[in-house]
Amino acid sequence: MEHKKFSKLELLKLSLKYSKLNLKCTLEYKFDRFFTTLAVFVREMVSIAVMYLILTRVISIKGWQMNEMFFLYSFLFLSYCIFIFLFTGIRDFDNMVYTGELDRYLIRPLGLLYQVISARVDYCATIGHGAVGVILFLSTYNSVGIDWNFRNIVYYILALLGGVIIQTSLFMVSSCFSFWAVRTTNLRNLIFFNSRRFAGYPISFYPGIVQKMLIFAVPFAFVSYFPSEYFLHKPDLSVFWHGCLYLTPVVGIIMFTLVYIFWRLGLKSYSSSGNSMY
Amino acid sequence: MSLIEVRDLTKDYRLNVKKRGLLGAVQSLLVPEYKLKRAVDNINFSIEKGEMVGFIGPNGAGKSTTVKMLTGILSPTSGSIMMGGLSPHKDRKKNASRIGAVFGQRTQLWWDLPVADTYDLLRYIYRIPEKKFEQNMEMFNDLLGIQEFMSQPVRQLSLGQRMRADIAAALLHDPEIVFFDEPTIGLDVVAKEKIREFIKKINAEKNTTMLFTTHDMLDIEKTCKRMIIIDQGTIIYNGTVEQIKERYGRSRTLVAEFAQKLDRIDLPAGVELIDQKDNKKYLKFNRDEIQVSGLIAELTSKYNILDLTVTEPEVEAIIREIYEGGIDFDKGISGDSKKSLSEQYCVPC
Ligand SMILES: Nc1ncnc2c1ncn2[C@@H]1O[C@H](COP(=O)(O)OP(=O)(O)OP(=O)(O)O)[C@@H](O)[C@H]1O
Ligand SMILES: [Mg+2]
Repeated sequence: MEHKKFSKLELLKLSLKYSKLNLKCTLEYKFDRFFTTLAVFVREMVSIAVMYLILTRVISIKGWQMNEMFFLYSFLFLSYCIFIFLFTGIRDFDNMVYTGELDRYLIRPLGLLYQVISARVDYCATIGHGAVGVILFLSTYNSVGIDWNFRNIVYYILALLGGVIIQTSLFMVSSCFSFWAVRTTNLRNLIFFNSRRFAGYPISFYPGIVQKMLIFAVPFAFVSYFPSEYFLHKPDLSVFWHGCLYLTPVVGIIMFTLVYIFWRLGLKSYSSSGNSMY
Repeated sequence: MSLIEVRDLTKDYRLNVKKRGLLGAVQSLLVPEYKLKRAVDNINFSIEKGEMVGFIGPNGAGKSTTVKMLTGILSPTSGSIMMGGLSPHKDRKKNASRIGAVFGQRTQLWWDLPVADTYDLLRYIYRIPEKKFEQNMEMFNDLLGIQEFMSQPVRQLSLGQRMRADIAAALLHDPEIVFFDEPTIGLDVVAKEKIREFIKKINAEKNTTMLFTTHDMLDIEKTCKRMIIIDQGTIIYNGTVEQIKERYGRSRTLVAEFAQKLDRIDLPAGVELIDQKDNKKYLKFNRDEIQVSGLIAELTSKYNILDLTVTEPEVEAIIREIYEGGIDFDKGISGDSKKSLSEQYCVPC
């Protein structure tokens, strides 16, 4: 059979096909999947309830109101929800290597990263986190005093997508290690989810070292803090460089480019060393 | 030029050498030390279009490693593979649309979904025209009976059903070349036979080129004319199944049933008593040195014999003997001489 390159449209259609099959898999275990979703939702809502209880006693920290804090928090949930919806495969990559699913992708006439990304969708996590994000957003977007004009809407979308790419890159770094049969999933979760917890509050709350970490090492500040500050202009922003407000997509693209190079390197090593995980 | 040309193909795996103790752990983190394991050692062979070749060898011989290189999953450490002008690894995507692969140990079907869903997805992935897809589905159903479990989730299928479904999945896009890595593993006699028939039929009808690894010699005898035997990464035989029988299957066993139980018998030189059961004795000899008729005449003149049968060795037995080192190949027939496994240590800078 003659091999013709797939067009963008064909790839998109194929992705939809994969999503449909994933949905079918999810519905195959409706009962179980419903409770998984509920568990994710409840777990995250509890963390918000705790935040609420603490904040009602303090009223405001460094000039941040409760609704402003929740608005900031909504960035984390919405971008994570989109990340999971689009890139579950990157989160589950080590498992694909481990079970040999990756080898199966390598005998298909399609790009490897494309297949990793398309082949899986975790609808439970998408809906669980998405629901929390939507609730937080809907209950705050009006009251925090944002003029939702065209420019702000465009900024909002770009910041959200930038946040998605930043989180994707963070997960992908860890995936790359799987190419060398090194499992970093637990380390990744430790770093990722704890940083994310920090990023649920304005970073100005923290000592300098934590701030630096959230800007330079695990740049969650660009996922939630700076995009929120763009809209809210709280006084605590003054200690940071103003340009940071616009950097989210840039940080995302730079990170992804670097990680992608690392990925290519890993793939090369994988095909030369095989895989000793199974 | 043949469809598949393998030249001086070598594959080294790199194994991490883990050191003991805390100091060792720190050391292997800072200066990782590797041990090279040569899984495939400088092999050469070619396969013509439409040929069906058996690829056998004991566990760990390097069969799967070779198949992984042929399918483009692994890159060779050195040497080259050419498949109709393409390199399976470097031109992976291009090459992938004309090959198919079945890894018996693992499924390529979606575990939680009916088989039909995987086929539907494959139709998109390989861009199989509607008409061809339907023709193939019909043909596979006739030969493999996949319709009966089409709507069952894969996890509920028996091993035999799953294997049939997997084979159909690999052949759906009419690949020019198909690699089977143990497609009959764990199957019962009937299921094996069905799969052999199917493979033969596809080969005959579509002129598909096939390479077939297995541990069941019957698979090879029933489907392939040629076989390649690999051991410790080197090819030790590459020729027809007939030839191996001809050359190495010269021993015969005469089973003689005597009228009474004999404690000992006189045998001519070159005849060996290998087993006995009740009144039966199993006598092994080389058919080039001893004539059966002569041996029978001698025995019947001395003893009272009720029954006689002569058996040829099965290919299975010959192969077993080869694996165990009982048969030494002369270079004339197999081309490659046996090399010892090389293992080297190296520390990257
Ligand atoms: N990913 C890997 N990393 C390191 N060594 C490996 C790897 N895969 C295989 N090996 C080694 O390479 C050699 C060849 O293995 P291979 O799987 O090719 O054998 P095989 O002929 O398919 O055996 P079997 O009949 O058991 O399937 C073995 O010694 C094996 O231990
Ligand atoms: Mg094998």
